[in-house]
Amino acid sequence: MKRGPGDFACTGGSPAFSSAIPVGQLYFPDFEQYEAAIRGIVERRYYTSHGPLVRGLEARLAAYLGVANAVTVTNGTLGLYLTALALGLKGKIIMPSFTFIATAQAFLHAGIEPVFCDVDPVTHHMTPETAEAVLEDGVSAVCAVNLWGGTADVPGLEGWASSHGLPLLFDSAHAFGVERAEGMVGRFGAAEVFSFHATKVLSATEGGCICTDDDDLAERLRNVRDHYGVRRAMAVPLTVNFRVSEAQAAIALMSLDDFERRVANNRDIFEAYRSVLAAVPGVRIVEPNGVVRSNYQSVVLEISESEYGLTRDDLWAILDAEGVRARRYFKPGVHRCVPFDGMRPQQVEALPVTDRLCQTVLQLPIGAMLTAADAATIAGIIRDAHVHAEALHSRV
Amino acid sequence: MSKQKAITADLAIFGGPVTFDPPRSTGSLADPDVDKILRYSKIFHDRQWYTNNGPVNQMLEARLADWHGTARCVAFANAFLGISLAIRQLALPGRHEVVTPSHTYRRIGEIIASAGMIPRYCDIDPDTLAQSAETTRACINDDTALILGAHPTVNCCDADGLERLSAETGVPLFFDSVESVFETYNGRRVGTFGRAEAFSMHATKLINGFEGGYIVTDDEELADALKLARAFGISGVDQVDRLGINAKLNEIHAATAMASLDGLPALVERNRERYRAYDELLEGVDGLLLRRFDESEQTSFKNIVVKVCEDWPLSRDDTVAVLQAEGALARTYYSPALHMHENSFETRFGALPVAEAVSREYMLLPCGDQVSLDDVVNVVKLLRFVCGHGKEIRAGLVARSGAGTQTRRDPVRLRRRVTAGTAS
Repeated sequence: MKRGPGDFACTGGSPAFSSAIPVGQLYFPDFEQYEAAIRGIVERRYYTSHGPLVRGLEARLAAYLGVANAVTVTNGTLGLYLTALALGLKGKIIMPSFTFIATAQAFLHAGIEPVFCDVDPVTHHMTPETAEAVLEDGVSAVCAVNLWGGTADVPGLEGWASSHGLPLLFDSAHAFGVERAEGMVGRFGAAEVFSFHATKVLSATEGGCICTDDDDLAERLRNVRDHYGVRRAMAVPLTVNFRVSEAQAAIALMSLDDFERRVANNRDIFEAYRSVLAAVPGVRIVEPNGVVRSNYQSVVLEISESEYGLTRDDLWAILDAEGVRARRYFKPGVHRCVPFDGMRPQQVEALPVTDRLCQTVLQLPIGAMLTAADAATIAGIIRDAHVHAEALHSRV
Repeated sequence: MSKQKAITADLAIFGGPVTFDPPRSTGSLADPDVDKILRYSKIFHDRQWYTNNGPVNQMLEARLADWHGTARCVAFANAFLGISLAIRQLALPGRHEVVTPSHTYRRIGEIIASAGMIPRYCDIDPDTLAQSAETTRACINDDTALILGAHPTVNCCDADGLERLSAETGVPLFFDSVESVFETYNGRRVGTFGRAEAFSMHATKLINGFEGGYIVTDDEELADALKLARAFGISGVDQVDRLGINAKLNEIHAATAMASLDGLPALVERNRERYRAYDELLEGVDGLLLRRFDESEQTSFKNIVVKVCEDWPLSRDDTVAVLQAEGALARTYYSPALHMHENSFETRFGALPVAEAVSREYMLLPCGDQVSLDDVVNVVKLLRFVCGHGKEIRAGLVARSGAGTQTRRDPVRLRRRVTAGTAS
C-alpha cells in the first residue's frame, strides 16, 4: 500500500514489482508438455503443409465453436487479408477506427480502403448508427470489431448490413471462447477472424483462424491460403502462403486443453481488480459487452480526469514506474496513423468518441503473468494514486 | 524396396507393387536435432517471450547475417511475406513491372501480384537454366520497377551480370535465392548480391524452421524498413511509423531454424553422397542427363535435376507419372513455365522459347534426408527398367487411358489468359 506520495516508485519509492508485468495473456504449456509435442512432430517428420495436428485443430475449433468451417492461418491479421481476397472485396470497407491497427492494414494490403466509423462511448463498439453515418459510394463490406472479451451489437449490425446488401465480417481477435445469448462468437456474419497470438487467451504463439458456416467461402479461403488443405480447386484472385505449422497447431491444441482453466484464472484476476476499483472515483471498468460468457481477454479502464484527479497518461506513467506495463490501446487512433491520416484527411477530426477513448482508456495486465493477489496490488496502487492525486500530479 | 521389376506389368502404374513406401519426395525434409530444438526453446520459454522479435529470433538473425556475410538479416513468418514486403519497399515508385524469369518457383507471380505489381516474365539461358543479363535486359522498359533475380535449383544465375545491368539501368536488383542458401557465386557468398536477397526456412528447404523466411542485406535503411513492415509499422510504444502487416517469425520456428543451422554442414555432406551416387549410377543410363553442380563453388548438392533427352523412350511427363506411382515422387521441373499458367492477376511477357522448351525437358528426382543411398540405387534401377522397356510401357499407358495419354513430344498445353490485376 502506498501510504503517501513519496511511496510511489515514480517519486522515489520502491516499485511494487521487481520484474515488469506485461499486459497479457502469455499462457503457454509447461516445458514438459511442449517437449512431448515437439518430439512427436519430429518423430512424425511432418512439419507443415496441413499436417495431422492442423487438421485436428481445425476440426476441434469448428466443433468447439459450433461452426461449419474453421480455416487456420499464419496469424489473425493475415486472416483478415485472406478473407478480403476470398470474398473478392473491392473499393471500401466500413470499420471502426477504435481497433488495433492490424484491422485497417490487413484490408489496405488487400487493396481495400478503410472508411472509419465512430464507436459507442459506453460499449466501445461500432453500432448500426455509427456505420450509417459514414456510409458512402464504393463501400462493399463492413468489418465490426469485437473488443475486450465482449462483442458488438451482433443482431443490430447483421440487420443493418443485410439491409444494405453488405457482407459483414467480424474481427474477433479478442473474442475466442466468448459466448452471446445467440451462441458462440465465431458463428456470426459472413465470417469471423480470431487471433491466436501469444497475447490472446488461446495462443499458438502466432496464429489465427477464420470461421464461417458458408462452405463455398470456406473453400475459397482454403484455395487462397495455399494449395495444401484444399478440398475442391476453385479460381481465386491469388494463392498465397498463409499456412500454420504443426508446431503452431500443437500449441493451439494444448491451449484448447487448458482453455477453461485460463478463463477461470482470468475471471479471478478480473474480479480482484473489480473488488477494489469499483469504489475508486473516476475509474470505470469496462464490462464485457453483450455476452453471457467472456474470456476476460482484457481489463479495461476509462479514466475521468476530473473525478480521478489524474489523467490516463499520468496513471500509465505511475504504473509503469511500479513495473506494471499497462497499455493505452488504441493510441493513436488508427485514423490518425500513417497512411490512413493522409488517405482520408476529412475523417481525422470526425471521430470524437474514438478520439476521447484514445485519451482515456487503459488496459491492465491479465493472464498468465500475474496472480489475483498481484491484481489486487495493482488496483490498490490505482486507488492510492487517486488519494494522492494532487501531490502526484505535479511529479509525473 | 519391393522385388525387382521383371515385366512391365510389375510397374505400380499398371497395378504392380509400389517400390517406395513411404514415398520419397524431392524436398529436403531434414530433421533438425530435437534436443537442439528444445535447448534453443528453453531460451524463449524461460523468458516467456514467444514472438514479437523474441530472443531466439534475434539470435537467428545475427547468425544468418554472419553466415551470409551481410550487415543485416530480417526474419519473416515465411518467404512469401518477406519477398512481398521487400518488393513493395524496393520497387521504383510510379512503375509497375517486376522482371523475373518465367522458369522459376511457381508462386513468384502471386508474390509479385500480392505486392501490387505486375510480373514481366523474361526468358532463360539454356546453359544455366536461369535468366541472364541479356534475357533480363530484353524486358526492361520505362515501367520496370524492379529486377527480381532468381537462382535455379542447381548452381547460380549470373549474379554479377545482373548487378552490372542494375547499375547501368538504375533498376534495383533483388534476389529470390531460396534454393541457394549454401552457395557461392564466383567465390562470393550468395546473400551479398543486389540490394537484398531472400531465403526460405520452409521444412523442405536446407534450413528447416517449420515455416519461415529471411532477407539479408547490407542496406541498413532497407533492413529497418522491413523490420517495421513485418510488425505493423510499430516503432515503439504507441508509435506507428509506416504501413505494415504481421509477418513476424515465432520463437518455435526460430529455435528450429537454429537447430537446423547446427546440422547444416553434415546435411550438405549427406547430400553430396546422394548426388555422387546419382551421378555415378546415371552415367550408364542413356537419355538422361544429370545437371552437375559446379564444385569449384560452395554448393549444397541438394536438388537432383535431370534432363530427359530426345533418345529417352518416354515423355518426361510419363516418366514422372511412372516414378510417382512407384512412390518415387519425382516432379517436373518448373513446369509449365510461369507465362503458360492461367492466372487471374495481370502478367506480361513476350516470346519465351527457351523457358517453354526447358519446362518440357527436366525433372527433379527424389532427394534429401528421407532418401537413402539404397533408395538412390532403386530409383536408378527403376529408370533403367523404364529405359529398357520404353516401348511396352508406352503401349501400356496408351491402352490404360486411351488417347488422353501424352505421346513422346506432345507440347505442354498452353493456357494463356491475361486479366485485370488485383491486390494493390
